[in-house]
Amino acid sequence: MTVLRINGEDRHFEKTLPATLADLLGLMKVDAATVVAEIDGQIIKKDDFGSTKLSTGQKIELIRLVGGG
Amino acid sequence: MNDKLIIAGKEFDSRLFIGTGKFSSNKIMADAIESSGTQMVTVALRRVDIDNPNDNMLAAIDRKKYLLLPNTSGARNADEAVRLARLARAATGIIWLKLEVTPDPYYLLPDPIETLKAAEILVKEGFIVLPYINADPVLAKKLQDAGVATVMPLASPIGSNQGLKTKSAIEIIIAQATVPVVVDAGLGMPSHAAEAMEMGADAVLVNTAIAAAKNPVQMANAFKKAVQAGRQAFLAGGAEVKRQADASSPLTGFLRE
Amino acid sequence: MENFQNILAQIGLDRYNAELIDAIEKTTPADVEKALADKTGYNLQKLTALLSPAADKYLEQMAQKAQQITRQRFGNIIQLYAPLYVSNFCVNSCPYCAFNIKGKFTPSRLTIEQACKEADILAEMGFRHILLVSGEDKKFVTTDYLTVLAAELRKKFSSISIEIYPANQADYEKLFAAGIDGIALYQETYDRDDYKKFHTAGPKADYEYRLETLERAGNAGFRSLGIGFLIGLSDWRMQTLAMAQHADFLMKHYWQSRVSFSFPRMRPAENVNRDMFRYMITDRQLVQMMTALRLCFSDAEIVLSTRENAQFRDNVSKICITRISAGSKTNQGGYTDDSAIEQFEVADARSPAEVSRMLKQAGLEPVWKDWDIAFTG
Repeated sequence: MTVLRINGEDRHFEKTLPATLADLLGLMKVDAATVVAEIDGQIIKKDDFGSTKLSTGQKIELIRLVGGG
Repeated sequence: MNDKLIIAGKEFDSRLFIGTGKFSSNKIMADAIESSGTQMVTVALRRVDIDNPNDNMLAAIDRKKYLLLPNTSGARNADEAVRLARLARAATGIIWLKLEVTPDPYYLLPDPIETLKAAEILVKEGFIVLPYINADPVLAKKLQDAGVATVMPLASPIGSNQGLKTKSAIEIIIAQATVPVVVDAGLGMPSHAAEAMEMGADAVLVNTAIAAAKNPVQMANAFKKAVQAGRQAFLAGGAEVKRQADASSPLTGFLRE
Repeated sequence: MENFQNILAQIGLDRYNAELIDAIEKTTPADVEKALADKTGYNLQKLTALLSPAADKYLEQMAQKAQQITRQRFGNIIQLYAPLYVSNFCVNSCPYCAFNIKGKFTPSRLTIEQACKEADILAEMGFRHILLVSGEDKKFVTTDYLTVLAAELRKKFSSISIEIYPANQADYEKLFAAGIDGIALYQETYDRDDYKKFHTAGPKADYEYRLETLERAGNAGFRSLGIGFLIGLSDWRMQTLAMAQHADFLMKHYWQSRVSFSFPRMRPAENVNRDMFRYMITDRQLVQMMTALRLCFSDAEIVLSTRENAQFRDNVSKICITRISAGSKTNQGGYTDDSAIEQFEVADARSPAEVSRMLKQAGLEPVWKDWDIAFTG
């Protein structure tokens, strides 16, 4: 079973997970430069996106800056 | 005349800060920011929309011209606010933070207890904290004791455009403050902003009144002028309507000299 | 935190300031009227105008407004307190004080037992707020002495203040823990040059340590911070401005404490050298000072002591006073045995009962007890 909970929703992957966080962002077409990532509550530094390995069941939050008062 | 606003050692020429929410398009937002003459805009943190992953508002803001002030809107308690603050810092490297803790989704009024709790933690972690609060003078003093860089009392609830409903309380906050006071939330018209500046506020923050106006770019410019006029009036020292003193019996008649 | 001494220096209030004095002299009636209409609390321009010679014509109006503000903020209440001199021994040599070390008198101090006997008399008279006074007598009036005395006095008095030598913050913390919650310390003069002239020897020669005292007390939690200058040592208008600046600073940084203004005044007398003390003021000027301060500081305590005579006190107490002493003895042991030397001559020697009657006739409500130590343990 290969699943990741991304932004509160379960996402299943056929066969294998993307190897790293950077791979996941690429797959989702999310520009890594504008995003903050949290895995299981830990903030992941941008420099580490490429080296952060993913494993099934992780809770991932992808957050970015938007308009606000 | 040197009348710079100084917050945490940083100088500002403009005393108008702009919120970037609720604009109908990124272009209008960018144009309104430009016509407001502001030097700092607030931004929020939200989950990336998976279905629309590259709606990137941030690209529309020239970060060479405008400082970003991340806020913790959405946080309902101190823990959530602290988490958002750390995320914002990780995302941008910015240590300035507008602290907003609003558990009530109807009026978006700030929670004083959670705000103070979060402020104490974040100041210790090296953030430059600008807390959004109700116009509570004692809370304002406690936050100043904790080391915040400004206090930001609301004029009336967010988005209500009601103007300075909390005027007397803000007067007290201004009189007692040792940090700049930024009136934030509820300023619906430029005249409200002018009034806040005439009272002695150091700056104002405006979002809804501009974003929801028919012509946001023109409204932003009107706010710019109003803030300048209000500040100038404050510095010029206004005269007030004289009230006749109650001349019952003379109190100083006993002095012979 | 901002440094008060720097603020005072920047504004030019810690030395004789010819420009400021000139500006004060040149104040016009229009300036005064603008200041009278300015409801925004304290600012330097406003107070300067209210203290100016031009404002003298507006004194009645100032008094009416000052009374109105005082009634709004304090009602008709006026707090009674009494001083208790525990020691007249002093190592300083201030030429204006009867206790100065060069004076020919037998120095004496009260033991804890004697001090309690004095205090009992005050409690009998009705007082519940007491002010312990001493000279610069660190040898005898130690922190331990005061904490032991405070522990005893707490049984009968609901508020204990001190007017003694400047101490360090650790001492103030001990004193606060012992139940002392008020302090009065007069800078005498905020003018550094004049200060040097009058305080040439002893610990009191340290202008800066003295000036920082109220901040140390504020840090230690003292609820009442009393300031003042000895009227007669320096130009009264400059000193009032400096004192106001001091009050403004203390109110902003010690927002949980209350600032009070006192007005120790040198009065012309046979033994007062008018060449040395060139800045004595008239009753009218003193009223101008008090009302001007009230118009700027609606929430400060304004204190009147028995240095002033009965007629002055009768008339001024109804304008803007919030705290007043009565039946005072300014010699140590004076309530039991009046023979020791007084620090200053008491000009209103009426008993507390008489003063209380006078206040009631003036429409005021004398309050003897305004706090209970039980509230703070």
